[in-house]
Amino acid sequence: MTQKEKDWVVKVQMVQLQSENPRLDDYYYQEYYQKLEKKQADEELLGRRSRFESLKLVTPYIQKAEVYESVVRIEGSLGQVAVSTCFTPRRAIDAVPHGTQDQETAAASSQRLWVLYRIEKMFLQLLEIEDGQQDGPAQPHDSEQQSSRVEKLFQALKAQGQNNLEAADDGFLQALSVGKGKALVARLLPFLPREQAVSLLLAITRHLPFLVKRDVADQALQMLFQPLSKCIRHLTFRELLQGLQGLVRLPPGCSERPITVVLQNQFGISLLYALLSHGEQLVPLHSSVKEPSSDHSTWTDVVVLTAWEIAQMPTASLAEPLAFPGNLLPLFCHHVDKRLVQKLEARMGCVAMDIRS
Amino acid sequence: MNYMPGTASLIEDIDKKHLVLLRDGRTLIGFLRSIDQFANLVLHQTVERIHVGKKYGDIPRGIFVVRGENVVLLGEIDLEKESDTPLQQVSIEEILEEQRAEQQAKLEAEKLKVQALKDRGLSIPRADTLDEY
Repeated sequence: MTQKEKDWVVKVQMVQLQSENPRLDDYYYQEYYQKLEKKQADEELLGRRSRFESLKLVTPYIQKAEVYESVVRIEGSLGQVAVSTCFTPRRAIDAVPHGTQDQETAAASSQRLWVLYRIEKMFLQLLEIEDGQQDGPAQPHDSEQQSSRVEKLFQALKAQGQNNLEAADDGFLQALSVGKGKALVARLLPFLPREQAVSLLLAITRHLPFLVKRDVADQALQMLFQPLSKCIRHLTFRELLQGLQGLVRLPPGCSERPITVVLQNQFGISLLYALLSHGEQLVPLHSSVKEPSSDHSTWTDVVVLTAWEIAQMPTASLAEPLAFPGNLLPLFCHHVDKRLVQKLEARMGCVAMDIRS
Repeated sequence: MNYMPGTASLIEDIDKKHLVLLRDGRTLIGFLRSIDQFANLVLHQTVERIHVGKKYGDIPRGIFVVRGENVVLLGEIDLEKESDTPLQQVSIEEILEEQRAEQQAKLEAEKLKVQALKDRGLSIPRADTLDEY
């Protein structure tokens, strides 16, 4: 046994004996020892030097475990590890505000707790749905039950917060501001019927800059990319244009287009590329009519603007997309001049290289 | 020497030969190598000693890790006085045979006792069959 191990055993035993008020915790020992010492002192006074030092228990003051943080973030991880002791059982992980946020008001923190509560409830519903699917859609009765569950969950997701004066998308956006909410939506999307999935997708594109800003702490939007790209493939041209226009249009009172923020975020840029790629696939199907429709011109405008914005942005700020569709460069070639295409190639080309390698 | 509480006092006994009595009745003799706060023990070059009457036999067992709660008592063996014993050491086969014979004799005696009590109309219930309460 090494000395370190021996010291450790002794330390463990000593720490157990530490006490704030020994006269209360260890009355008999303290009393006995005081009497013993008094007797020895008297004996010494009387001149009897033959007394011996009786063994005294000296507890070194060992610092008890320092105040620990009940939520530990490991560098570079996506989540948190909950550390609990008997004094502080596990705290709800997301309920701990991160250090970067400013002081929340009481209303804001209660709002936050309300959102977390909603998400927990919805997650239970989601788990039921997933279990239902695992058993296999055997009978029509089961699939009916399943679709009613999905419908209920969708309604819960869209539901209002405590304050009913808020805007229509707000309940959904609040859920998406939390890491667990994003996981919920990502897992729910495959179950939703087309229209509902599309409405969620459009809500996300409408508020993409807001979501990107809110995601800075969690960095969890990536998990939405896969289910959303599946959903994108079912979009009609009209719906696609709706989504893209929201990104490109200049909102009132703001000097910056949403697309600028979107291009700097990995999830944003991936989503944008996926939308453009799908549009490019739809265009030949849509342009069966000879005369150019208003949709078509909108599409052209969107593409040109996007190309221009990408070319404007310094390569360093351009985020690396999760997937790079092959038909994007040809798309831009059709719509913009050569110089711009070269600029785009320079920016997107090096990105495409990284993904392929 | 600072007074050490609880199992920490075993630290002084490390690397010395000890005799350990376990709750199941076994006797182990070995060098105490390691302890912890529960008095779990690590014994080295352990030998299980079986005593029957005036005879004993040693079965070499190697390394033992004993859970603290199973120890009845343990004590240091004085190496000088170790061989100074009236007991006679025999081989393993012999001591196991002796032990088996002893167990047998005990069982027989027990059977006779129970029979005798039954004849007189008394019955002592065995502890393991007592399940009324």
